[in-house]
Formats: sequence, C-alpha cells, structure tokens
Amino acid sequence: MGAAIEIIDLVKTYKTRNNKVNVVDHINLEVNEGEIFGFLGPNGAGKTTTIKILLGIIYQNSGIARVLGKEVGDMQIHREIAYLPEKPYYYEHMTGIEILQFYASLFGNIPKEKCQQLLERVNLANDSTKTISQYSKGMQQRIGLASSLLNDPRLLFLDEPTAGLDPIAHIEIRDLILGFRDEGKTVFISSHELSDVERICDRVAIINKGKIEMQGRLEDLLRGGRYEITASGVPEELGRKVEGKDWIVSFAQDRLIVDMPDSDSPNELMQSIIAAKGSILSVIPRRKRLEDLFVETVRNKEVSK
Amino acid sequence: MRSDINKPVWLGACAAGIAVCAALNQGVLHPLWVRNYAPKNLSVSSGLAPDQMLLALAGFREMVASILWVRADTYFDQGNYDAVLPIIRMVTWLDPKQIDVYSTGMWHIGYNFTDEQSRSDRRYLPSALALGAEGAKNNSETYEMYFETGWMWFHKINDQYDNAVTWFEKASEKSDIPPARRNMLSSAYQRAGQLDKALKLYYDQLNKAEISMKEQLDQVTAFTARQQRDTVEKNLDVFLVRMSQRGNFNADGTATELFDTQPPFDVGFSAEVSVIDAAVLRVRATWNVRPVGTRIRVILRDADYPNGTDAGMDFGASDSVNLDPPKNLTFMQDELFIRNRRADKKMDMSRDPTMYTFSKDKYYLDFYYNPRSAPPHIQDRFGFLGEGMTDKNYLNTTARNGERVIFHRMELTRDMLKREGEWIDKMPILRTPNFIEGSSTRTGEEELIKVPGLLNK
Amino acid sequence: MRAIFNIARTTFGEAVRRKIILIILILGLAFIIITPGLGILSPRSERAAVTSLTLGLIQMTSALLAITLTIYLVPNEIDRRTIYTILCKPVRRYQFIWGKYLGAVATIGLMLLMMTLVLLAVFAFQFNDRGFNAAEAAELAKAPLMFFFQMSLLAAVAMFFSVWTSPIVNFFLTSGTYIAGTVFNGVFETLKESRSTSPILRALSEAVQAILPNFGRFQVQNAAVNPGQVIQSEAVYFGTAIGYALLYIVVMISLASVLFENREV
Repeated sequence: MGAAIEIIDLVKTYKTRNNKVNVVDHINLEVNEGEIFGFLGPNGAGKTTTIKILLGIIYQNSGIARVLGKEVGDMQIHREIAYLPEKPYYYEHMTGIEILQFYASLFGNIPKEKCQQLLERVNLANDSTKTISQYSKGMQQRIGLASSLLNDPRLLFLDEPTAGLDPIAHIEIRDLILGFRDEGKTVFISSHELSDVERICDRVAIINKGKIEMQGRLEDLLRGGRYEITASGVPEELGRKVEGKDWIVSFAQDRLIVDMPDSDSPNELMQSIIAAKGSILSVIPRRKRLEDLFVETVRNKEVSK
Repeated sequence: MRSDINKPVWLGACAAGIAVCAALNQGVLHPLWVRNYAPKNLSVSSGLAPDQMLLALAGFREMVASILWVRADTYFDQGNYDAVLPIIRMVTWLDPKQIDVYSTGMWHIGYNFTDEQSRSDRRYLPSALALGAEGAKNNSETYEMYFETGWMWFHKINDQYDNAVTWFEKASEKSDIPPARRNMLSSAYQRAGQLDKALKLYYDQLNKAEISMKEQLDQVTAFTARQQRDTVEKNLDVFLVRMSQRGNFNADGTATELFDTQPPFDVGFSAEVSVIDAAVLRVRATWNVRPVGTRIRVILRDADYPNGTDAGMDFGASDSVNLDPPKNLTFMQDELFIRNRRADKKMDMSRDPTMYTFSKDKYYLDFYYNPRSAPPHIQDRFGFLGEGMTDKNYLNTTARNGERVIFHRMELTRDMLKREGEWIDKMPILRTPNFIEGSSTRTGEEELIKVPGLLNK
Repeated sequence: MRAIFNIARTTFGEAVRRKIILIILILGLAFIIITPGLGILSPRSERAAVTSLTLGLIQMTSALLAITLTIYLVPNEIDRRTIYTILCKPVRRYQFIWGKYLGAVATIGLMLLMMTLVLLAVFAFQFNDRGFNAAEAAELAKAPLMFFFQMSLLAAVAMFFSVWTSPIVNFFLTSGTYIAGTVFNGVFETLKESRSTSPILRALSEAVQAILPNFGRFQVQNAAVNPGQVIQSEAVYFGTAIGYALLYIVVMISLASVLFENREV
C-alpha cells in the first residue's frame, strides 16, 4: 500500500497587519493507506489549515501535498475522498434522505438505493423523512458520516467526529470509524478527544504552532510506562535506600509506594521488600497515556521557547 | 495547487463582453428606450422636495404628480393662485400625460390672474401658450391640447386668428376629436377670413354627420349624431346667408344695394387720453357706428416690451413656460365699449402696483380695432375681412400683415403716467387731431348702418 | 450541469424558506393590494396612477428581494461551512457559483410571478368594468417580465461582489450600482448631452454608463401607465434588452467565478 497522504515541507503563511505568520511551518507528514491516523494539536496549531490544504480549499505557499498519489487540487481526488467538518451544518429544510440524495447528485453516478443503505448503516433509516432541524447532534453527525460514504471513498477526513456527543453516540461513531479501517479505508482524524484517538488510531502526529512535534506509531510513542508498587511492613530505611533513579517513593503510615519507570525491573525491589519481611500489596503497570504525551510535548515546546 | 484557469484570457473575455453590452446599450437600446419608454423632460428642474424627488426618480412619478395635483385643488379653493403655479410646473414635469393639468394650468395662467378691475394679466399669456404647446407635444396622440391651445388663441387673445386656425387644424387631424369640437375650426376659418375653407369644412362636417346618423348606433350616440347634424346645418345656413349678404357670391363683390359692404363705411375714429392721476387714465373715443357691439382695444405697454408688436405682443414667440414673468414689465389691455357713438372710460392702474410697475421710461398706448372680431350684425356691413370698413385717418394694413384694422399709437413717458416731474401739476392730455369735444358732429341717416328689413322697405 | 442544477435546486429550497425574504414579499403583496384604495388620486388618472404605483412597488420589492437574497448566498455557505462539504466533492468552483446564482434567480422569478399574479387580480377586480381584458393584462405583464431580467442582472452584480466583500459592503455596492443604473441614469444622460458639462465629467458619465449595467433599460412601465402610445420595434427592443441582460449576467458570473477560483474559503 502506498501513501494516502504525503506532505513535504509544506508552508502556509498568513499576513497580519505587522508581519507574516507561518500557520503551517515546513511540515512533513505521511499517512499510509488503510490506517487510521490521528492529527493532534492545541487550538490554533494549524490542524484545520493543513486539512483545508489537503482538500484544496486553501492553497499552500510552498511545499508539496499529495493525496492518493495526486497533487492537491486535482479534481479526480475529490471522487475518492470524503470530508466531515467540525460542527457540520446541513440545509435544515431537507430531510435525511434528501441530504444524501443531494450530495450523491454531486457525484453523478451513485445509485439511489445507496442512500437508503447508508441510512441503515448509520441507524437513521427510521428518521430518513425527518428534516435536519429535527435531528439531534448525534444524528446530524451520523448523517454526515453517511454522506461521507456516498462515493465509497478511499480516504476520509474527519474533523472532531465525536465532539459534543453523548457517550452512546460517541461509541457508535467510534465503532463506525473502526469499521472503515476494516474496509481498507484510510481515515485522517483531527480530534481533541485523546481517549478516542488512543483507542482507535494506528499512528498519530502532534502539531503545535505550525510544526510537527512528533509523529509515529502510538505504541512507539507511548512506550515508557511505569510500575506502581505498594507494600506494607517495610522499614523506613529501605524506603530511603530505593530513592533516586527516577523513582518516586512515598511513605505513608507503614505503606511504601514506589513509582518507577517500566525500563527498570521491579523484581529486585520486590525481593528487597520480602527480605525486609514486608508484604507486597500490589504491583500495577501504568502505560503512558496519550494525554501525557500531548501535554508533555506542548509544554516542552513552550518551556524551550 | 492553485486553479489552472487562464485568468488573463477570462478577464479579457469579460472585458470584451462588457464592451459588447455597452455597444448594444448605446446603439440599440438607448434610442428605442428614449423614444418608447422614457419619461419626458428629464432635464427640467422641478423644485420638488427631496423625498418627492426621490420617489419620482424611483419610478413613482405619476403617483407624486397625482398627490401634488390634489394639493393644488386645496390652493384653488383657498384662492392662493400663486401657489398653484409651481405645482402646475412640477406635475407636468413628473407626469406629462396628465392632460387635465396642462389644460387646467393653461386656463389658470391665462384667465385667473387679474387686476382690481378684472383685467387679465397678459404677461402670463405667452407662458400659457407655451404650456399648451408643451402639452400638445407630450400628448400628440390626442386632440385635446391642440384644441385647448387653439381655444386660447381664439377666445382669450381674440386676435391673430391664423394661429387659432393652425392649432384647431392640428386638433382636427386627430382621430379622437369629437365632431362638435371640429366645428370650432370653421369659426376660426371665418375669423381668419379663410371663407372657402370654412365653407368646405361645414359641408364636410355635414356629410360626416349624415353618415353617422345612418349607422346603426345606440341611443346616446344616435342622439349626439343628430344633434351634430342639426348644429352644422344651422351654422352652415347662417354662414351662407352671411356670405350672401356680404357680397361673397357676386362677381363684383356686391350683394344688393341694401346689404352691400361697399362703399366702405368710415368709422371716424378719434380718441383723447388724459392722465387724470398717477396710473389713472381717462380715455374718450368717438366712433361712427351707432348700433352697439363695437369694442375698441386699448393697450398700454412698455415701448421695449419683449416681442412687443403693434397693439399687442407676439404671444407665441417663446416656448418656455415661465411662471414668474419679470415684474418690471408693464402690459395693460382694456376695451372701450362704444355707446351712442362715444366711449368714455376710466382705466385705473393705481391699485395694482405690482402688475403695473411703470419702471421703464417710454410707453405705447395703442388703439386697435379688428373687424374680424366684430359681432355678426356689424360684420354684415363691414364684411368678413373689413372690406366694408374704413377710416380716413386710422385705417391700417400693416399692423396685422395686410388685414384691414383700425390702429393708432400714442406715446407717453413714465413721468406722464406717474404724474411726476414736470407733470406733477399739469395733466397730460393726448388727442388725435380729429378729436372733437362734446356732441357728435355727424348726423344723418345715411351714415347709419341700416338693418335690412326693419327700417327700410 | 447536474451539479449546477442540484446546487440551484437546493439554494432555491433554502431561499424560499428564509423569513426575511417572505416578509419582504408579503409586505410587497400587501401594498399592491391596498394601492387601488388610495382614494387621494384623481378619478381621471386613477388607472395611470395605480398602474404606476403598483409597478413601481413590484420593482422596488423585487430589487430588495434580489439584493437581500444574493448578498448572503456565498458568505452564508462559508460561515456555516457547508461549502466545504460541497467543494470537497467533484464540484468545480464555477459550478458552485453558477448553481447558487441560478437558485437565486429561480427564487426571484417565483416571487415576481406571485406579485404579477396578484397585480393582475387587483386590476381585474378594480377595472373590470372599465375594460380591463386579457390583452391589457398581457400588456401590463410586460413590465414585470422585464423586471425579472433586471433583477437577474442585479443578482449577478450582487453575486460578483459577494465573492470578495462582506454582505454589508456588498449591500451598499449593489444598491449603489442599481441606483446609478436607474434613478441616476437620467442625470448621466443629461450630463452627457448638455453642452455646459466639463469634458472630465462628460468622460466620467460615459465611462460609468458604459461599464455599469444599465438597469434603466428594463423599465418599460411607461407604456403600461400611458397606453395608446405607438411603441416602435418592440420585439427588437425586448430581444436586445434580454440579450443584453443575459450577456452581462454571463460576464458578471464569469468574473465572480474567476475571483472565487483562487479565493481561500
């Protein structure tokens, strides 16, 4: 499989009154076909700008951007991609089925039955004749997803697909997205819902102030978890002995709690506790969270600045 | 990547498109629109209030015109005639198709401005005629304004009848003229001395009336057609009798020795004018004609009055509608009514200082009589063209392009009229050389106008 | 073409449901209906005044409709981001612009049709006993027909401005263009024809009249207000005026498309 998205040294500059600002600043990015890719960053980082460039809605100042092997702006791309914007608005006077029929008509070669099938897929078949104004937020999101699937796209851009949804709707959308991957589609998600990204994405990139701070497979990025070992009946001097080495040791009443990186083996500590006639109450491995990585990345940038 | 459209080519094509549009607009649309659909008189300034102007320009001209004309009604009721004048101008500018306003405006300007002695302010007459002409031009599809303008010449000016003929002829050409109104053209022909045309028109009208009567019409139209036939028949009969009496059918121009217009009767005009007070004249005149019906026109005007002529002015010289004639001009027209072969009338202009400003130095006082406007019983002696009238001192054939009229001019100065300067204590008196004070010197029945069949067998 | 048609249809469906459009339309219809009741007009010219007033109202109402409708077409799509869902489909920008424009024109046409029908009904009711018949109705309807082309051209101007200005600025630009082409048309003509106009002012008047669309050419209501006039070469005039409108519309929308092509939304 080739690259679904390829960005090389992309720059987008906006002029303000006094100076120019690189909203996208020499970024390089690659998204493989068939994966779910998470595109993360704080507000104003350049996520939406990057997506708009890939969609051909705005134009880069320099650099290369390719989608499905073609330069952005090639009309053929639009037959094979789909976009679900953040907080989408649909023509309120139209019913669910009419919305799909309208968007289908823009492709020109989509059979009518497909609209009904998609409504069933997103569980809106019973609400197809209601107008959009009667749809809840979750239903609007689902109709958006349905419209994204009209042309059976190879690549979907989803901007905050689960924002503002209740937990059940949240799960439904997530499951739909996972289903896309099973179908071999590539999904490019921009989201602040880090828990969702962590659950479903294969690879992520974090963009901050126009620059890609890091990108890669989640499991690689989140490597570096910790162990939390709790023991009781351990003498204080043991606690003092095991301090340092990036271990966090706390002693409360007669309990020793040690937080250590998972690169260090806990076996030696446990043997020390047993030797000191203490009791090991728990050994809990804690994986690194995406939220931690995100905060860490963004804050480090601010500190280094 | 940015769009690959060829921007310069597209912009060039758009510019070419605009150029084609401009050419279409100027070459085809503009002349046709001006001819067919443009409101008239776009460039005339109107004196409208800003909101009225905006409404007018935005396409509500006729509505604004109607509202203004309704307001004019109120001014008429109040007697505020001056306030009506600008409304007339505004409404005719806004809605040149409102014929009512043109005709009412003409009447108002021509007839309603008078002095304390009910003499019309003749300074407005050129504007009244110009308004009529404008109304005719803007409503050329109907007879109405042509007729109204002709009527103003015929009735108000009551002179220079060729002009009335011209306008009545134009009115007659329009298909919507009622037959009864076309009859006026015959009257105008008679006054203008175009007797053949008058006769021909009478016969033409009679034929048309006969044809109308024979058509299967509704009751009202049938009645009107019969009435028209009867009227024309009567008028024609009278006309033929008069023509006969006045010798028009005889080769030598005579009728009989009793009804002849030959030899011409000497009217023996003489006059005396005394400025009895500032702007007050006493005018006395003699006239040999015993039967009543003679009115001698007296005109006092600035010697340099614009377009001034002998005994009047060229009323049709200007085509601009000036509703505010210059206040420094003076023009007074009055009449002497002859009774018992004399007239004695006081013409008081002192109570109308705005109308008679006497701001110039030199004035003409003209005496004028045109037999074409004489009543029928006098025309029976004088003839249609005054061929039966003469005056050894004051017969004139130049004042009215060859027509036989009585005309005499006196000259006065401002000081005389205002009784100023050397005339403070001395009364200016001007006389014709033949004026004789006191009783008439003429006696003798041979000088009477004989009425056939009554006094003589 | 299918994309243009479907965008137009959607635009039409949305436009006819916009409250402000409906309010303007209802007010216009109400004024048309009550016009004959204005008893201040003199009896002799009642027909002329009513014709003038109602046609003037239709023109003003449809102008307001055309401007209000069109100035928000593109900006609303951008603000609500519906434009993204369309432009990410295989729809070219010029198709989007044409589709929005034609949807607006269809809406304007419907509104004008409704006003014309009400106008004819009012006339049939008011003047039936004074000879208002089918032939006169047809004559009367010519003015709204030309208004349709006039407003289509006005909408094209508004569309052109909408791709590069905000709605408020667009409102004044479009209104100004309309006023220059109608109300002040006579002023420009006078300036051009008057001998006392300075050369600069004359050149400016010529330029303005050449470049700006001449909306005044579609004001043919004088013939209906003052019937009985002989109209010269009516078919030629109407054909040319419609051709003029169509060509200008193509130019305006093409310019809008060119500008929109590189606009970042």
